[in-house]
Amino acid sequence: MGSARLRVLSMFVVAMLLAGAVWSRLAYWQVAQHGRLASQAQAQYREYVELPAVRGAIFDRNLTQLVVNTTVYSAFVSPDQVPSTERDGVAQGLATVLGVDKAKTLATLETNAKFAYIARRFPKAKADQLRALKLPGVGLEEETERSYLPGIAPGTTLASNLLGFVDWTGNGNYGLEQKYQDALAGTPGYISSYRDLANREIVLGTHTHQDPINGADLVLSLDANIQYAAEQALADGVKKDNAESGSVLIMDPQTGGIVAWADYPSYNANDFNHTNPAMFKDNVLGYVYEPGSVMKVVTLSGAMNAGAIAPDTVINDPGVLSVGGYRIYDWDHRNHGNIDYTYVLEHSLNVGAMKAMQAEGHDAFYKNLQAFGLTQPSGVDVAGENFIPLPAGSQMADAQYATASFGQGIDVNMVQMLAAINVVANGGKYAQPHVVERVGTRVNPVLLQPQRQVISADAAAKMTTMMEAVVQHGSGWTSRVPGFQLDQCGKTGTSQIPVNGQYTQDVWASFVGFLPAQHPRFTMIVVVRKPHYPGADRDWTMNDGYLTAEPVWQKIAQTMVVDWHITPD
Amino acid sequence: MEVASSAATERLRLNRFGHAYVGVGAVVIALFFYLALAAQITQSSYDISRLQDQQRQLIAEQDQLRYQEVTLHAPAQVQQQASQSGMQRVLPASYVPGQMVAIDLAAPVGASPSDSTPRWLRAVAMVVNSVGGTRDVLAAGNK
Repeated sequence: MGSARLRVLSMFVVAMLLAGAVWSRLAYWQVAQHGRLASQAQAQYREYVELPAVRGAIFDRNLTQLVVNTTVYSAFVSPDQVPSTERDGVAQGLATVLGVDKAKTLATLETNAKFAYIARRFPKAKADQLRALKLPGVGLEEETERSYLPGIAPGTTLASNLLGFVDWTGNGNYGLEQKYQDALAGTPGYISSYRDLANREIVLGTHTHQDPINGADLVLSLDANIQYAAEQALADGVKKDNAESGSVLIMDPQTGGIVAWADYPSYNANDFNHTNPAMFKDNVLGYVYEPGSVMKVVTLSGAMNAGAIAPDTVINDPGVLSVGGYRIYDWDHRNHGNIDYTYVLEHSLNVGAMKAMQAEGHDAFYKNLQAFGLTQPSGVDVAGENFIPLPAGSQMADAQYATASFGQGIDVNMVQMLAAINVVANGGKYAQPHVVERVGTRVNPVLLQPQRQVISADAAAKMTTMMEAVVQHGSGWTSRVPGFQLDQCGKTGTSQIPVNGQYTQDVWASFVGFLPAQHPRFTMIVVVRKPHYPGADRDWTMNDGYLTAEPVWQKIAQTMVVDWHITPD
Repeated sequence: MEVASSAATERLRLNRFGHAYVGVGAVVIALFFYLALAAQITQSSYDISRLQDQQRQLIAEQDQLRYQEVTLHAPAQVQQQASQSGMQRVLPASYVPGQMVAIDLAAPVGASPSDSTPRWLRAVAMVVNSVGGTRDVLAAGNK
C-alpha cells in the first residue's frame, strides 16, 4: 500500500517536472520573449517606410539659389535573380551604360549574394538608359543629392568653403550645411502598412501615415555676383604672388552681414567624395594668424577714444623702442623724427603704435581688445571657428603688450579682425558678423539686437580720416579705386610667420578697407598667406600687403562699385 | 379561410435546409462583393504605386531642370556667355579727355569787359573790402 502510494507520488512528481519544463518553456517564449517574437513577426508583414523630408534650399541676398536638391540613382544587382545564361549580357549592359568594369561586374554576378551595388549616384539620364534595357536582377535606387553652383573654374563650386556639403547619409559637413543641419534637414515622416509576399501594400490592413516636415530655406546676406568676383580676383592674386593660399571676407558695415566669403584654393562640393579632406578646411574662420599692422587701427582707435592721443599728437620716432628688454624696430629701421599719429598710420610705424598703447595704458589697451571682439570667438553662424584665447591681462609681459599693439604675438581669425575694423566703418558700433539673414520666415535674431558702442562716433570719424590718409599718402595707394581716391579708407598688414618660436621670412600679407569713407557700403579684408612676390627671395618686405593683398582688394572693390552702383560721398 | 391560409403558409414554409441555403447564399454574395471590392482596391493601389513612381520620375526631371535653370543664371555661366559674345567689364569711372587750348601768354591783354555794377554798390564794396578784404585778395596775399 505504502509502495503503491510512493509510486503514484513519484509518477506525479515526474509528471509535474515534465509539465513544469513544458510550461516554463512556454512561459519563456510567450512571456519573456514576447516582445522580440512579436516584432520579428511584425517585421515580416509590416513595413515601415521613412518619408524623407526635402532639405531646405539656400539663397543669396538677391534670392539666387545657391544649392538645388537633385535626384540621383544607384544601381544594384541581385545576383541570385540573374540566370547564368544572361550574366554576360547583364554585365555588358551595365558596363556600357554606367562605364563600370565588365569583368568585376561579372565576378559580382557569379557570387551567391542577394544584393550588391554596381554604381552609386549617377544622373537620371543614365538611369533612364538602364531602365530601357530591362536587365534581369538589376534595380535602381533613388537618392537625393545637393548640387551646388559652378565656381570660377571647371571642377570648383561657388562659395564651397562657406556652404560646406551634405554627405551621402544626409548630414551637413562644414560651413552652413553643418551649422544649420537641424533647420535645413527638417523632420522625416513615415508610412507604416502591411505588405504581402511580393512586397505590395495590403490596402485593407491598418495604415499609419505621418507627413514629413520639410527643411527651412536659408536666405543669406551673401551676394553671389560679388562672391564670384571675389573668388576670381583672389585666385588671380594668389597665383600672381606665388602664394600658398588666400582668403577674402566682405561685410555690410551697418548690419554685419557677410557679403562674400572666398578661399583659394577651394574645392568641388559636388564631388566631395573625391576631394582631399584637407581642402575642406575653411581658412577664413578656421585659420588663425597674426594680423600685423592692421591691428594699429584698433590700437590707435582705442587710444583716441580714451583721449590718450589725437591724430595730430606729435611723438618722436627714432625707429626703435626698448620694451621689456627687447629692442623693437619699425619695419624700415629708420629714424622718423617728430611725427604725428596720422603719419604713424600712413607709414605703418611700430614705434608709434607702441607709444599709443603706452599712452593709453596696459589695462585700457586690454579692455580695448575685448571691446573690439578680439579676445573671444566672433560667434559667426558658420561651423568650424578656430580661436586662440589671449592670456589674461595680468599674465602678459610688457613686450607682449608692445607687439600686440602692432598685431604680432596676437592670433585672430579673419572674421574677428574684419568685425573689429568694421567698428570704425559703423560709427564706433560693433555689428555682429553673420551670414544667415532668414531661416524660413524667421528673421535672424542677431539683426534685431541693438549694436554695442565700442568707441565714440567722434573717435571713429577721426580714425576714418586717418585711414583715408593711408590711401591718399601712405601704404594704401595700390588700393585706389578710380573715382574714390579721396574717398576710401584702408590699412595694410604684413606679419612674419613664426615657426617654433622664431619669425621666418614667410609672411601673412593683408589689407583691410572700406568705401565710401563717410557712408561705407562695404568693409573688406584680404589675406594672402606666404606670398613670394617676384624678387622677394631675400627681402620679406617685398611681400608686403600693398604689393600682394591690396591689388586683390582693389579689383574686388572695383567690381562692387559697378555692381552695387556705389558713388563717392 | 383559415384552412386555405394555413395551407399556403405550409407551402411557403421552407424545408429544414432552406435557412441554411439562404444563409450560405448571403455569405457567398457578401464574399463575392468583398472580393470584388478588394480586387478593385488592390488594383487601385497598384495604380497609385505606378503613379507615385511616375511622379517621382517627374520630380527628378523637374529637379534636373531646376538645377539647369539656376546654373544658367549663375555668375560663372553669365560671365562665360558674356566673354563668348565678346563683352568685357569696363572701368566705372570714365574721364572726359581735356581739350587742349593754345594760350599765348605774350599776347597783349584785350579790352576789359565793361562793369555794369551800380555806383552805389561799388561804393559799398569799396568800404566792405577795405575792412575785411576779399577772398581773392587774401589768397593773393598768402601767395
